[in-house]
Amino acid sequence: MDTFEHPAHWDLLKRGALYVLLVALALLFMFPFYWLFISAFKSKEAIFTLPPQFIPDPWRLSNFLEVFRETTIVRAFANTTVIAAGHCTLTLFLCSLGGYAFAAYPHAPGRDKLFAFVLATMMIPGVVTLIPVFVVLCKLHVVNTYTAMIVPGAANAFGIFWMRQAVQQNVYHDLLDAARIDGCGEFGIYWRIVLPLLRPALAALGILVLINNWNNLMWAFIVLRTEDMYTLPLTIYLLQGELRTPYGQIMAASLIATAPLIVAFLVFQRHFIAGISSGAVKG
Amino acid sequence: MAAHRHFYLFISPYFILFAVLGLYPLIFSFVLSFARWDGLTELRWVGFSNFVNLFGDEVLLDAIWNTVVLGLMYVPPMLAGAFFLAILLNASWLRCRAWVRAAVFLPVITPMVVVAVVFGLLYDFEHGILNYGLQRLGLPAIPWLLSEHWSKPSLALVLIWRWTGYNMVLMLAGLQSISKEFYEAAVLDGAGPFQRMRHVTLPLMRPVFVFCTIMSLIGTVYLFDEIFVLTAGGPGTSSMNIGLYLFNLSFSDFRFGYASTLAYVTAFIVFLASLFVLRFQSREGD
Repeated sequence: MDTFEHPAHWDLLKRGALYVLLVALALLFMFPFYWLFISAFKSKEAIFTLPPQFIPDPWRLSNFLEVFRETTIVRAFANTTVIAAGHCTLTLFLCSLGGYAFAAYPHAPGRDKLFAFVLATMMIPGVVTLIPVFVVLCKLHVVNTYTAMIVPGAANAFGIFWMRQAVQQNVYHDLLDAARIDGCGEFGIYWRIVLPLLRPALAALGILVLINNWNNLMWAFIVLRTEDMYTLPLTIYLLQGELRTPYGQIMAASLIATAPLIVAFLVFQRHFIAGISSGAVKG
Repeated sequence: MAAHRHFYLFISPYFILFAVLGLYPLIFSFVLSFARWDGLTELRWVGFSNFVNLFGDEVLLDAIWNTVVLGLMYVPPMLAGAFFLAILLNASWLRCRAWVRAAVFLPVITPMVVVAVVFGLLYDFEHGILNYGLQRLGLPAIPWLLSEHWSKPSLALVLIWRWTGYNMVLMLAGLQSISKEFYEAAVLDGAGPFQRMRHVTLPLMRPVFVFCTIMSLIGTVYLFDEIFVLTAGGPGTSSMNIGLYLFNLSFSDFRFGYASTLAYVTAFIVFLASLFVLRFQSREGD
């Protein structure tokens, strides 16, 4: 194939052109992030001056000071962290335990029917159950609590499917039998042997679930009622709706809400990409 | 039974939670679709009248129209762009692939509210950088999110920016899973780059294209965040789609019964459409 040969002149040119094109496209996609970043350091007037300032003049931290002083952003950050971590932990626990059971106990009666049932529920779109889930949460008196944000959606059919597959690929029955002979209890096997082997799959599912939950606006809008419970997306959304929109504060708050995700994505990129691609290529 | 009790023990947390927040709601909303209820006053049975009312609902007609138009505006360029990018990124000698991929993918993980805030600035009629650029080129300023005419194209642009990376990652994974041997055999048979694309890459990528198409179909019908934060369906109802209409029916009009009917009917139609896409692909594949 041509890629194995020493590149000729026109080949070098072709490669150069491809790099230029890719860098240009990458910059185009990054532009809104650049705009977000510099706007957070501009004064409110500078955000809207023409011609636009491509580099803030001067760089100001006042938006951040104001957003800390005048809004509940710190509380919102804490709420979002607790909710996302809680939801992620619960989802990973339920799905890995269930997925392990489906993979490791092939002789349990009804196993295949139950698994087919789980798969069928994957087809149900969330909007169909939006109202009843809200009604259930009202009846349980958990509206406007962390529970209302953490628990719904944690019984994730896709997660079960994924974890079952991960167990089948990474955990050998011999290993489990050896552990049983050594006197390890069934839950101990899951906790001490299976979970560590599932680490890459857990990381992939975890980061996916975490980011979705961190960004969730619709559900927060429905179940959170008081300012002390608001999450970051909800806080920013409501700031945007205020009279005399405080753009400087909004830009600072947006940067604060986005930065952790970007860091998390860059750290876990490999797992994350593997996670979302596995659905298309294998399924 | 006793021998298998751990199986049942281990799946029960999942199933208990699913029963309360999945299965029961599913049945409940099916029942609701035959009733009129605002969540406070007493529930009233209305038979099939919710289903009948769907046909005379003019806002729903707008919402369906907008959903279809918006989908046609953003899905084809998004999928084509994603495939193009995936092909570029699949070059074996390419360095820094992960960085370009990350740059195109970051919009997917960004909170939609933040996307709306930033695009609100970019789209601003008087002070936005897009109109500034247009005017510098001697073109007229565009009332991006402010006019019934431009609200859908403006949303389509955001959607393309936001979702190309997701599809690109899927397609890149698809391309990388194609065995090199197919290409080597094609080269031995004297196939040029275009023939390799036409007879090797495209047929083998078909399952990924189908997956992306179905995901885009579902995503378009239930699209909510993007529209909710950018235009709230406006101006007028020019960008009201099915997802937002369902939300408004439920949580600002509190027409729980009618909203359930619409949700069920929509889910059923989306399911049929997905099946159709799948069938279509398996027939083509023969």
